[in-house]
Amino acid sequence: MAANDRERTDAPRLQVRGIRKAFGQNVVLKGIDLSVSAGEVVALIGGNGAGKSTLMKIIMGIYTCDEGEVLIDGAPAKLGKPAAALAAGIYLVPQEPLLFPNMTVLENILMGFSENEGELKKRLAGHMEELGFHLNLQRKANTLSIAEQQLVELLRGLMRNARILILDEPTSALTFGEVEALFKVMRDLKRKGISMIYITHRLNEVFEIATHVAIMRDGLITLEGPVEKFTKEMLIAGLLPSDAQTQKQGEKAYKPVRYGELKPVMQVRGLSGYGFSDVSFDLYPGEILGIAGVVGAGRTELISTIFGRDKTLSGTVTLDGKDITGLPTKQILKEGINFVPEDRHYHGLFKIRSISSNTTSALLDGSEIGRVDMNRRRQRQITQKYVDDFRTKVVSLDDLIGSLSGGNQQKVVIARSLSTAPKVVILDEPTRGIDAAARGDVYSIIRQLKDAGVAVLMVSSDIEEVVELADRAITVFQGRINGEFSREEITQDALTSASFGIAHERKV
Amino acid sequence: MNKVKGLFKARWMSSLIFLILLFLITGIADHDFLSYSNIISCFNTATMYTLLAVGIAFVIMTGEIDVSIGSTLCLTAAMTGLIAQQGGSILVMLPVVLATGAFIGLINGIGVAYFGVPSLIFTLGTNSVVRGLVYILTDGRTVENFGGAIASYGNKTLFAGITVYYAIAVALVAISHIVLTQTRKGKYFIAVGDNAGGARLVGISVLGTKILAYVLCGLFAGLGGFVFASKYGQVMTVAGTGYEMTAIAACVLGGISLSGGLGNMIGAAIGAVIMSSISRLLVFIGLPSTYDNTITGVMLIVIVVVDALAQHRSVEMSRRKRLLSRTAENAAEGGSKA
Repeated sequence: MAANDRERTDAPRLQVRGIRKAFGQNVVLKGIDLSVSAGEVVALIGGNGAGKSTLMKIIMGIYTCDEGEVLIDGAPAKLGKPAAALAAGIYLVPQEPLLFPNMTVLENILMGFSENEGELKKRLAGHMEELGFHLNLQRKANTLSIAEQQLVELLRGLMRNARILILDEPTSALTFGEVEALFKVMRDLKRKGISMIYITHRLNEVFEIATHVAIMRDGLITLEGPVEKFTKEMLIAGLLPSDAQTQKQGEKAYKPVRYGELKPVMQVRGLSGYGFSDVSFDLYPGEILGIAGVVGAGRTELISTIFGRDKTLSGTVTLDGKDITGLPTKQILKEGINFVPEDRHYHGLFKIRSISSNTTSALLDGSEIGRVDMNRRRQRQITQKYVDDFRTKVVSLDDLIGSLSGGNQQKVVIARSLSTAPKVVILDEPTRGIDAAARGDVYSIIRQLKDAGVAVLMVSSDIEEVVELADRAITVFQGRINGEFSREEITQDALTSASFGIAHERKV
Repeated sequence: MNKVKGLFKARWMSSLIFLILLFLITGIADHDFLSYSNIISCFNTATMYTLLAVGIAFVIMTGEIDVSIGSTLCLTAAMTGLIAQQGGSILVMLPVVLATGAFIGLINGIGVAYFGVPSLIFTLGTNSVVRGLVYILTDGRTVENFGGAIASYGNKTLFAGITVYYAIAVALVAISHIVLTQTRKGKYFIAVGDNAGGARLVGISVLGTKILAYVLCGLFAGLGGFVFASKYGQVMTVAGTGYEMTAIAACVLGGISLSGGLGNMIGAAIGAVIMSSISRLLVFIGLPSTYDNTITGVMLIVIVVVDALAQHRSVEMSRRKRLLSRTAENAAEGGSKA
């Protein structure tokens, strides 16, 4: 590359060019160009799965890219592993600080250095003075608050003479005051000429701290430039697909729900738990209620608490008038709520069992397929019915479930939850990691559920999915419901704004 | 003052107190137990367990496990015996047993860290292989009658009834302890077990650290084999069976967490003394020694379960705290806007 030959002093401190990365069939980054100069803070915004974390991991040397290059001070850098990135002055402050919980703060900061310890301590004291940190260095890291842990991470970065700091959603677990303190530190660092890449979901913060902004969507940077040139509305527009306004698919297949005649099947009132608080909503039979929001907003925590997997702090959940708050999962299943988890592999499948065993595994507790001597024929009948209904592509019902594609696996998991004839089905990210063709099939299955009068609660980070399927939608922002939308009001624009915490005209 | 306070908070301190209590209680049942010679022999008999426990502590510290050390000890003990039978000197034996131990450790380390095989499974495999090598090497016969210089060292005392071998073991404990807790590279073992992802992020080689831990573990097991041959003067093909469990139990008793990253070598050494004293305690309390295995087993399970529950609780607590701070912040922001 010709550009590499001439080392220009005004070359950006960090530049990535044409970065592409795919995990198997799934292309995550489709040619990313991004540059950061000294003293700049580039805010990187993007929805879930846009590829931000992957890009940062490539810069940090945790992943290698398939194509493209990373340049530091205009010279191509070979960043095959984290140690090389550290040596090049790049430091990543991860979203969940990666400290050593059983070590002291001092040990945590000095871990991995090879210089004289006295020198290091002196330098550390200097950094702490400069930034006005007061932290007992002998405290164990597991006694620190998240904000303190982040300060320790920042100190680690500074001790390594980091010139490029990557901050991955540093404010997502901080209180308001702590965010202010962090921003003060960031401004100091900015003055000292340190470059920062700042990943965030909060648009307000962008205008407060960033000098530049870049928006990522579907593995591409869609919008980039100095922050003065943008308004919040422009950023939202950048987060939407370019054809967002023109399409609203599935309209012809849509059957409206007549809410007037219906009584809600599930009512959630003032529910608080770990990760969400004061959540209230109704769920009607035969509707699809979409729950939108960014990762970490508390949606997954909300539904797993309803399903009895975590402790309820306050509030009630009623199903058909019966209070089911805080019941154990087994009980909740019996009451008629079923849950299709986000991660099929960890929570949803018995990987080394056959398709038919998986489909009927939720029935093991009842007598339908026999208690001791299992009725294989009945098992196969049930499975065959769902395989036909859902057009699941299988060779034999006795094949291992692991041999199916992601989309077909998901069909089996949904089939299993239907086999218990539930009143409510909770779907968490029903089409994550599923190819486009199978996605259509999963959508039609979800519509079948609705037509059968099942109430569907669907958590999805894919806003297009919510727009296409949902009869109503609610958005969760920082653990609270901040918007409710009827079918007519659901647009990508409205849901995206609310997911990123921009107030919508209609208040709940 | 702070230092003293910290000392009492240390995990190995509770093991020491437990050890003293055990001794005192047994002493109440039978005063003879608290005689100097008896207490000293409690420590002396712990020599091999101490060596094995310190070695495996490096591995446990990184969050892995090694169940092949019992057969490694047997193999190196048999080698020591065979060399002695042919009149070889200690200068031949030591390099041979140490190299053998280190090599087995290297294989374990590569299997676990490089190929990513779960450590229990992989070292269970090497355990069988090494035990098989013992049979091949000895033709399935007990190695005995090797006398000579090595046998005379077995129970030689240095001073005040302390055997040479126990003194060496204590010195190695001290060195390992200082390396582990005071030196920069030594702390890598703890860091890798504490948070492998974090270790990688600050540029520590997780792969290299784990392999080194296994090599050290093998070295200590090799040395343990040498001591075994020297002390007992005969090596049966089943020698060392179950020693790995005793060593693991010693570490756990000494406050080393099986999930890694917590504990130190002093604890492991104290745990080794507790483990080797149990059968002696039973005799003095008046229980038949047939209870030995059951009691140590129960103790091990209780401690591991309590430790696991405590770990799980602390992880869960911090997760909940983190989630709560998210919503709390929202309230604060909302409040400031209103």
